[in-house]
Amino acid sequence: MRKETIMNLILEKQALPALFQSWREHYDVYLPQKMERFSHFMPLSDESVLVTDEPHNTRIPPKALFLPMTEALVEFTRFGSYEDAKQTIQPRIVFAIRPCDAQAVQLLDTSFIQEGYVDPFWVEKRAKTITIGLGCHEPCQTGFCTTVGYGPFNKSDLDVLLTDLGDLYLVETISEAGEKCFQGFPTASDEIYEQALMVQHDTHDQMPVAFETENLKEKLEQNFNSDYWEEISQSCLGCGVCTFLCPTCFCFDIVDEAQRKERVRNWDTCMFRTYSLEASGHNPRPSRVERTRQRLSHKYVYWLDQINQIGCTGCGRCVRYCPVGLDIRAMLRQAQTLPFEVSHAG
Amino acid sequence: MQDNGHSPYTPISMHILRTYYESTDRSLKTLELSFDHAADSQEFFQAFNPGQFCLLSVAGKGESALGVASAAWEGDFVRFTAQKMGSVTSALHDLKAGDPIGMRGPLGNGFPLEDWKGKDLVIIGGGCAFSTLYALTKHVHHPDNRDDYGKLTLVYGTRTSGLCMYKHDIAAWHENEDMEIHQAIDVPEENWLHHVGYVPDVVRQVAPSPVNAVAVVCGPPIMTKFTLPALEDLGFSPETIFTSLEKRMKCGIGKCGRCNLGPKYICKDGPVFSLAELNALPADL
Repeated sequence: MRKETIMNLILEKQALPALFQSWREHYDVYLPQKMERFSHFMPLSDESVLVTDEPHNTRIPPKALFLPMTEALVEFTRFGSYEDAKQTIQPRIVFAIRPCDAQAVQLLDTSFIQEGYVDPFWVEKRAKTITIGLGCHEPCQTGFCTTVGYGPFNKSDLDVLLTDLGDLYLVETISEAGEKCFQGFPTASDEIYEQALMVQHDTHDQMPVAFETENLKEKLEQNFNSDYWEEISQSCLGCGVCTFLCPTCFCFDIVDEAQRKERVRNWDTCMFRTYSLEASGHNPRPSRVERTRQRLSHKYVYWLDQINQIGCTGCGRCVRYCPVGLDIRAMLRQAQTLPFEVSHAG
Repeated sequence: MQDNGHSPYTPISMHILRTYYESTDRSLKTLELSFDHAADSQEFFQAFNPGQFCLLSVAGKGESALGVASAAWEGDFVRFTAQKMGSVTSALHDLKAGDPIGMRGPLGNGFPLEDWKGKDLVIIGGGCAFSTLYALTKHVHHPDNRDDYGKLTLVYGTRTSGLCMYKHDIAAWHENEDMEIHQAIDVPEENWLHHVGYVPDVVRQVAPSPVNAVAVVCGPPIMTKFTLPALEDLGFSPETIFTSLEKRMKCGIGKCGRCNLGPKYICKDGPVFSLAELNALPADL
């Protein structure tokens, strides 16, 4: 993890348009922009309507920059053979990504880079992207990053971290690539730096503990057949928005687009019946009970089995956008009341 | 499948060598595929282990995961048996000799053959899931490999005699001195000389010895569910019972998330698991 800062600089907010212009000479610049009623990372153009003052992350998570909602994997040739789909990714800068979302992209490297085959489509986009994070100086209402071990100014997977100080940002450059984006900017005085650190600590301290994580894995694991799953999934509509907007959900479907002569992957969700429906008609997860159990267990049990890290960065989207107000924090508080036995293994 | 710089999602080019129906009701068809490029063949056989599977690809229709039903010594081709179920397997049934087809694989772990050396093998199959066990039996039965293993016992059940696959080889195996073979059908038929009954019951009746033996079970979920306890009752320990699992799959390489069983992916970490391994995983099948 790249945590050490190289330099601390100052960026006046009024200098942003000029800075973006200079970046655009060499990079595609992605930043949160208004799309209808919500925000989404899109490439900067002359018509862009920016949102850098929204007190929380974008509705569509920036995982979409690395795992697009739909993406060609294979092209069919005239001769009945197959070729890798071509992707042309320009070097790019992602500006104002929130620490929870940057952390999520790093978690997804586990699946796409570290475990088994390397996913060439993911790797290419990762390698060509510089991430400039924007710390959260106001605790967001539904987020719980500190509860799951991260934080509003977490530097994981960022090349630069910005701290909003009113008219200016403190710019902490974390990697050399990040430093290059801010060449020639004035160094921050000790006073400014101290002020930013105070903002960072204050916000961190203001975030409440949403639920206890101690023994949570064991409780979920040992109560696999409990009525708990039915209780927490009763009002679920099975719409899948919690997984669609989740920055760490990476499941995809692969389908053939015959007319386009392409095989593509599309975001998929374990909250749908057809996700696990087998050709024989058998479905290991026939109802929302099993599907809710899969969603929660994946994040709070299986990720821990795999890399000993919770597979949720506390971004709060599933809470904010659930149409029936289901709240993963409440579900996990309830899970903490389940019986369990201390395991002696390790 | 080797990491050779190509995208792991892109199938290699194969063509159909020959096809034939396995079952009298024409629901099961065998396809034998040969490689368009010698390098692909070399790569495949360097990696191949019985028990692995491939994704067969029909452009415009999609991919279907099928177990490899041939042993490496049989020649420069790969055999699969497809049950006609959905759009991809229907398209596979329509293919004829000479047609192009895509393939990704071999995928998954396959049977732990090295660990099984020196042991008796009890191979238990049901229905069309017998395909990888057929590959296993052919591999073990080959003169080059036969001495590596002890007694070979085969139990193979199908609903009807017409659904029995690989009939010629199985008929020939009955003549073999070094193999004990028990065939079963679910309901009685005229002129049927073998067992009548469900596989778990036949296993109990045949009662293979668990001493220095491993049992491998592949069949429909309901058969597997009742055969595993039958083997435990016979004295097989969970470490010596193996099964090959299936779930809906897409990518075949542990990326798309679909076939997880707890923290494991059936496509990448399986499909072959010991009962001891399965007992430590959630019952999410």
